[in-house]
Amino acid sequence: MSVSQANVSTAASAPGRIRRHLLVDRVYHWLMAACVLTLMATAFLPIIGYKFEWLGLHWSTGVVLSALVIIHIVRAVVWQDFWAMMFDGADIRNGWRRIAGVLGGGHAPAPGLPGKYNGLQKLYHAGIAVLVLAIIATGLLMLLKIDTPLWRRNPYVLADYQWGWIYVVHGFAAMALITMVMIHIYFALRPDEWRLTRSMFRGWITRREYEEHHDTQRWAADET
Amino acid sequence: MLSGPGMELFRYSTSIYGGSDLLIGASWDLLPWFVAAGAAFIVLHALVKAVASRRADQSH
Repeated sequence: MSVSQANVSTAASAPGRIRRHLLVDRVYHWLMAACVLTLMATAFLPIIGYKFEWLGLHWSTGVVLSALVIIHIVRAVVWQDFWAMMFDGADIRNGWRRIAGVLGGGHAPAPGLPGKYNGLQKLYHAGIAVLVLAIIATGLLMLLKIDTPLWRRNPYVLADYQWGWIYVVHGFAAMALITMVMIHIYFALRPDEWRLTRSMFRGWITRREYEEHHDTQRWAADET
Repeated sequence: MLSGPGMELFRYSTSIYGGSDLLIGASWDLLPWFVAAGAAFIVLHALVKAVASRRADQSH
């Protein structure tokens, strides 16, 4: 039995409900969201003119985000269905059929249903993972340039031009994250995606939604 | 020094040791462009979905 199958709690779920996200994963998501929004606010509000002492809150929230992401990576690899988020051949085939259907006026074979996550969700996750990991890596290096309870600042560990590129990566990734967060919130608010938004609060989707929107072989939520 | 037409991509400072300008980060002039890219995606996607939905309703 895969972890995806174990996501169904037949004892705890009301009839007709499929558990999509456990409480620990929902808590992780919302903690991460709070950290990202705090980091973006402390980063960009001073830049656009709202001056305040941002650095302490920014770096401490960054450390919290780093810890959350590490926990998520370990949990996803060890305890969850890691491959559920990996882009595979079926996603390529379904995506191609969807594009062909739009361009070909409906003459292409119908695309198949996705597993737990569709191809675009997987691509989005891959993109935001690259951005967040780049921000975290560069941000943690920047901690060397400030005094913390654990160490005194030492900006000389790297040369000036190396610090410059670290700040370039951090800045571009942070601005790209704004774009990604906007897109993410848009999809969360779309009525045709509300079942997914609800599942990030309540943890479940209905059985009808599960059978209508997901390939029950690729995401086998029923225990056999 | 890399820049687009009328727009800088990077920020520079003068090194206290002299010589060439020092790269210090990305240009914050790009911030509106990233916000605009997000808004453009949202508008385009919403339009495409609306058109596709209307075509699906008409075909049924």
